[in-house]
Amino acid sequence: MEYGYYPGCSLTGSAHKLDKGIKKVFAKQGHTLKEIPDWNCCGAFEYGDRKELAGFSKKNLEKARGHFSEIVAPCPACYKNLREADEKREFAVTHPLDLFDEAFFAAMKQGKDLKGQVFTPYYGCILLRPKETAIRNNTVMEETIARFGGDVAGESIKDRCCGGNQIFINKSVTEKLSRLILDKSRGTVVVFCPLCHMAMKTFSGERKVVYYTDLLLYIMGENSAL
Amino acid sequence: MPKTDRAIELTDYERQDFSVCLGCKICASVCTVNDLDLSTNPQEMLQKLFLGKDVAADDPLVRFCTGCYRCTGACPWEIRIPDVVRALRQVHATESPFEKAFKGSVAIWGRVYEPYVLMRAAPFLLKGGYIKHMMRWMEYMGIHLPHKVKRT
Repeated sequence: MEYGYYPGCSLTGSAHKLDKGIKKVFAKQGHTLKEIPDWNCCGAFEYGDRKELAGFSKKNLEKARGHFSEIVAPCPACYKNLREADEKREFAVTHPLDLFDEAFFAAMKQGKDLKGQVFTPYYGCILLRPKETAIRNNTVMEETIARFGGDVAGESIKDRCCGGNQIFINKSVTEKLSRLILDKSRGTVVVFCPLCHMAMKTFSGERKVVYYTDLLLYIMGENSAL
Repeated sequence: MPKTDRAIELTDYERQDFSVCLGCKICASVCTVNDLDLSTNPQEMLQKLFLGKDVAADDPLVRFCTGCYRCTGACPWEIRIPDVVRALRQVHATESPFEKAFKGSVAIWGRVYEPYVLMRAAPFLLKGGYIKHMMRWMEYMGIHLPHKVKRT
C-alpha cells in the first residue's frame, strides 16, 4: 500500500533515526511512503494563535490533496496538528503506531525475540491526549514487547510528561520530570516521540533509550538496531 | 482590551465557555507543573479568564506548562488549558530565545532548520549549560542543507 508521508522537521534533522526506521519497517512490509511534496513545518507547539497554527497544517493538507487519502505522520506533534486541521476528516491522518496491528505482525518476518530483556514502553503526552486525536491502540508497545517474549515494566509512568517541550526553555523542568519517569522505569526505555527521546536521552545516564522502530527492526533480525 | 481577552481570542474559546467549569480542580490534581513542587491550579486560571481578570506572565502555569494535556484528559468538559496557556504566552510575549529562533527559521524556509536554530540560540544555550549534553546529542547530528518551501 502507498501512504502519503509527512516526516516533519525533526525527522529531517535530529530524529533522522526515526525517519530511517519508519521507512525501513514499512519497506520490509511492502508498503511505500511517499513524501507530501514541498511540505512545510506544522508549527509544533510554538504558536499561541490557534488559527495560525492550523494554517500551517491546512497548507500541508492542500499539498496532499489529489495525491493521497491516507497520511502517515510519525512525530506526535505533527500528527496532532495535521489531524486537528483536517476538520472535515477528508484524509485519514494516521499515526504509524495504529498501523502495527494483527495483520502487520502476521505478515512480519521474525528474526529474533526479546526473551530475558526488560523494556519500559513510554508514550508521553500527545499520542494519548487530547482524546479526539489520541491513537486508537494505546497498548501497542507493551503488546509488541510481550508478544516477542520481553518483560514489560514501568506501566504507571507510560503517560506521564517528560517535559521535553521545555528542554530549550527551562531545562531544569525537563530534568526533574524526565528523572521522575526514569526512576520508575526499568530496562530499555522505548519511545516514539523525538522530543521524549531527547529528554530521556539527556538525563538517562547509562540507561538505553530507543525508538519503537529500533525495537521492531531488532525483532525483524537487525542485530545492531538496539 | 485586557490581555486575557486578547488571549482568549487566539484560542477556539469564548470567555463564556469557561463558565461551565464546575470548580472540581481535577486539573490541579493531575497537572504536571505540580510535579515540580510548584503550587498551581488551572481552575483558578479559568476563573480569572471568565471574570476578565489578568493572568500574570510569571504565573507558574504560564511559565512551566509543558502542554501535556493531562488536565484536558481529566476535565469533565475537556477544556484545553494548554491552548489557553500558549495564547497567554503569546500576548505576554514571553517566548524564549529558542522559540524565537524556531519561528525565525519557519519564517525564512517554511521549515525548522536545526543548525540555524542552534546558531541563533547559541548565546542562550552557552549560558544555560547545554554544552555538557553535546556528547549525548551526537547521534542527533547530521549534515543537510535547508529546503526552502515555495510561497503559496
